Amino acid sequence: MSQLVYLVPLFPLIGFLINGIGWRRIPKSLGGVIGSLAVLASFCVSLGIFFEVKDPSFHGPVIVQLFEFIHSGKLFIPFSFQVDSLSSLFLLIITGVGFLIHVYSTAYMHDDEGMVKYFSFLNLFVFSMLLLVLGGNYLVMFIGWEGVGLCSYLLIGFWFKNRDYTNAAKKAFIMNRIGDLGFLVGMLLILFNYGTLSYQDFFGKLQGAQPAGISSDTYNWIAICLFIGATGKSAQIPLYTWLPDAMAGPTPVSALIHAATMVTAGIYMIARSHVLYTLAPMTLHIVAIVGLATALFAATIAIRQYDIKKVLAYSTVSQLGFMFLALGVGAYTTAVFHVMTHAFFKALLFLGSGSVIHAMGGEQDIRKMGGLGKKLRTTQITFLIGCLAISGIPGFSGFFSKDEILAAAYAHDPVLYYLAAAAAMMTAFYMFRLYFLTFTGGFRGTEDQAHHLHESPAAMTIPLIILAILSIIGGYVGLPAVISEHHALGSFLSSSVTNISEHHLEAGTEWMLMGVSVTLSVLMIAVAYSVNKKPNFTPSTGLAKILENKWYVDELYDAVFVRPIQNFSAFMERFAERKGIDGIVNGVGKSVRWGSDRIRLLQTGQVGFYIFVMVLGMITLFALGFFWVKL
Amino acid sequence: MKAIIATTILGIIMMFAGIMAKEKKPLTTLATILLVILLGVNIWDLTNTSSLAPESLFNNMLRIDRYALWFNTLMTGCTLLYVLLVGREIQKVGEHVAEYFALIFFILCGVYLLSCYNNLLILFIGIEIMSIPQYILAGSDKRNLKSSEASLKYFLMGAFTTGILLMGITLLYGATGSFNIVSFSFLQSDHLNTLALAGILFIMMAFSFKVSAAPMHMWTPDVYDGSPTAFTAYMATIVKAAAFFAFLRLFQVSFGSLSSHWTFVLAIITAATLLVGNLTAVFQQSVKRMLAYSSIAQAGFMLFAILAVNAVAWQGIIIYAVAYSIATIGIFTVLMKLKDYTYDGFNGLAKKEPLLAFVSTIFLFSLAGIPLTAGFMAKYYVLQALIQQGSLLWLVIFGLLMASISVYYYFRVIIAMYFKQGAAELNSPVSGTDKFMLVFTCFLVILLGIFPQLLLGNI
Repeated sequence: MSQLVYLVPLFPLIGFLINGIGWRRIPKSLGGVIGSLAVLASFCVSLGIFFEVKDPSFHGPVIVQLFEFIHSGKLFIPFSFQVDSLSSLFLLIITGVGFLIHVYSTAYMHDDEGMVKYFSFLNLFVFSMLLLVLGGNYLVMFIGWEGVGLCSYLLIGFWFKNRDYTNAAKKAFIMNRIGDLGFLVGMLLILFNYGTLSYQDFFGKLQGAQPAGISSDTYNWIAICLFIGATGKSAQIPLYTWLPDAMAGPTPVSALIHAATMVTAGIYMIARSHVLYTLAPMTLHIVAIVGLATALFAATIAIRQYDIKKVLAYSTVSQLGFMFLALGVGAYTTAVFHVMTHAFFKALLFLGSGSVIHAMGGEQDIRKMGGLGKKLRTTQITFLIGCLAISGIPGFSGFFSKDEILAAAYAHDPVLYYLAAAAAMMTAFYMFRLYFLTFTGGFRGTEDQAHHLHESPAAMTIPLIILAILSIIGGYVGLPAVISEHHALGSFLSSSVTNISEHHLEAGTEWMLMGVSVTLSVLMIAVAYSVNKKPNFTPSTGLAKILENKWYVDELYDAVFVRPIQNFSAFMERFAERKGIDGIVNGVGKSVRWGSDRIRLLQTGQVGFYIFVMVLGMITLFALGFFWVKL
Repeated sequence: MKAIIATTILGIIMMFAGIMAKEKKPLTTLATILLVILLGVNIWDLTNTSSLAPESLFNNMLRIDRYALWFNTLMTGCTLLYVLLVGREIQKVGEHVAEYFALIFFILCGVYLLSCYNNLLILFIGIEIMSIPQYILAGSDKRNLKSSEASLKYFLMGAFTTGILLMGITLLYGATGSFNIVSFSFLQSDHLNTLALAGILFIMMAFSFKVSAAPMHMWTPDVYDGSPTAFTAYMATIVKAAAFFAFLRLFQVSFGSLSSHWTFVLAIITAATLLVGNLTAVFQQSVKRMLAYSSIAQAGFMLFAILAVNAVAWQGIIIYAVAYSIATIGIFTVLMKLKDYTYDGFNGLAKKEPLLAFVSTIFLFSLAGIPLTAGFMAKYYVLQALIQQGSLLWLVIFGLLMASISVYYYFRVIIAMYFKQGAAELNSPVSGTDKFMLVFTCFLVILLGIFPQLLLGNI
């Protein structure tokens, strides 16, 4: 089965081509069916691969080389796929959650003119994402990496007639490109120092004897460059600002790309490169700090947001921060575990918010919602499950993965634990603030909206229900050590990812940690309930206002980077370009014409003159020739 | 060997056919058939000669190797293509169509001699056999004053050059006591005597004239412009390619070991040729005259192969010869269909005759050296040859700069065809055969641009 791995990205590619070429002619419903079936087909193949990899008889990664991609001199980069437990798990998440979101989209986008185009983009995204996780070397990963960036751009700006949306798309693309530069430099460093980009060769060389002239600095430089790439794609400080703006895209896109899959590419990449990162403890330290800072920082912003999707966006940034924290303390499988559970519950929450927005006729401001639970029963219940899961309430998936992260952080350094617990506490608060403001209390919207409220169609609610179930049971693949010796996901991943072993926590400590974080979360839910029972939306002041304005980071970036660059660019345009380059270019043209006009006159048409020139030329050349020999 | 005899006989047959034929059209058909036969004979020659042992003939006067035979075959093929494309225009030039074709066969005889000469006397005879028919063809439009003027100018200056060539041969004979070109390679490079060096330089000047390199290029624009366009197309392509092949043969086989003595002079000639050809082409108003200057400019690039003195140079000259010949014959064919030879005459051609405009664009792309056309590969090979030679990188850079200037005047035609308003007027309607042949030529240009090895496969 794993030899057929190329089928997995092939189906979405075909779907993309069909829908992309025929998007003007294919009827909307058919476009949706094609798009969804393509992903379903990949999901089926992925399942087959997953079970093959899960089988104990499966040994080591399988490399499937499709063709020689670059072969130049000593450089040889094949276009190859690598099937192992890490990539097969990601395959399942991408195609599984991806399929549900495709189905959801068929209903959500039904009234949109460009629905077929939308599905072609969505398929292209799935294709690129699959390339990213399947690639057997960094270059194939990079192709996917850029591909998902492009699709993200296309889908954020899907409603391109709105200038704000296209600006958001541009912002996402540019921020990502800044990160991509880091990735690219990292790749070139690997190529320069090790002469290969293939994971197996590279990691083999890392683990083997250290080549001459490569110090541990090199490890750190490569690791940091790759991490810069990850901060762009996975929205970490300082490159996170694009993600909240990316909510301009259709909500299923936010669920698929900006919550469940694409933004976790950075985590995948670091987990994939864990051999390198384990050798670069300094970089891991940076990863942990950046992750923790992002988790805290984004959580504070989420507390004071009023746009339902913005809250979820900041929550995503914050959760990604948790994952990087896990990576930073060397608990790679834990990070992947959280990627998985987060994919379930965050996709659920986004799709739930989409259902709400759908019912509200496009309204996203939670100040104008309230009491929606009465009309949108399914959405409410599934959303509640999502909130419980993300808040880490025992029994729900988020509890298991988050608890594992917290425990790993404590084992590494208790300070990390305290700060992470604070971030987790805020998570519970802002998620339930969102829940209470949206689904409970009285309705605060207009008469028309109240009239229009309705539960979404089955194509939307069924994915919600499935995701809700997954959000509950998804965590049981990774039970805490104190409950069960057997960590199903951990042992599955162990064939491809090795954690940095920390000393084990004692059972008592672990119970205590769990108890503390759960108590804090429950407490925060209660606080959220009491604060938002009678909501009042007076203009905020002081710290609240700063939070509402996202710590003014956008303004800061604008003043520090964007404006100066724009001014510099305007300056270059006005002087260097207009005066300098244009002057040179036009000058060359003019001088050629001038020269041509002069030389032309030599052609007098008189044979005598021609022969004179010939003789003169010959004499000169003879003189030169003999002079040259004498030299 | 067989081809040399065959072309002479076929030329004579052609002459006699002129006496018998009442109409012009059968003559063109006959010429085409005879050329196919000649091509067959060439291929026969090629298959009969082993690549290992070159054949020496006539007391070592001729030395036939695979390079020579392959080059002959290609040039015969190009001539066939030329007759197929331009045949009808040749009929229009004058009354004596059979003679024109016969002269082309004789020119081919000169080409064959030049590709395999092993003796300076054969070189001299070959050049004369190739040149004298050209003097006649240049003046074949007898009632046209410009044609006669071109013929006379060409003849006068050609005669002058013949003197220079003979002078060179004589000096070399004086220095070495031999006409055999292989024996010159024993010349000592450390103390080369003045007599021999002067001989080499004289021969270089004579060749420069034949390939229209500066400062011996002055005849080119006048002759090419004045001659009937159908014959300009032949003079500018196959004849020139043959002169280059002979040039390369002598300077690589005989004087290759002495290259340090003449490289500098030839480099100056090359640079001057590139400069004059490209710069002057910029200001021309007539496309025909522009193509004459462009042929000077292209000669500058072919000189790279001679400067390089290495194995790639042989490949370069063959690819360049074919690529340049095909594209030039193609663009001349289109030119002949037009009433007005100026740039303005091309205005709006794309609307009126989209196919004509399209194929011209491909031919011009090839001449300018745009990738995916044969011209790109040709430039690539000669530049590579010169880069491998190593000591003339400044000339490579200069050549590239000049190539970028050439884009200006080639693309002016494309701009006129596609972006300018106007009603380009045609001389004669474009027949289906013409279209087919033009598309075929265009296909060749692109094919050779992708698989240039096709031109080298047989050596």
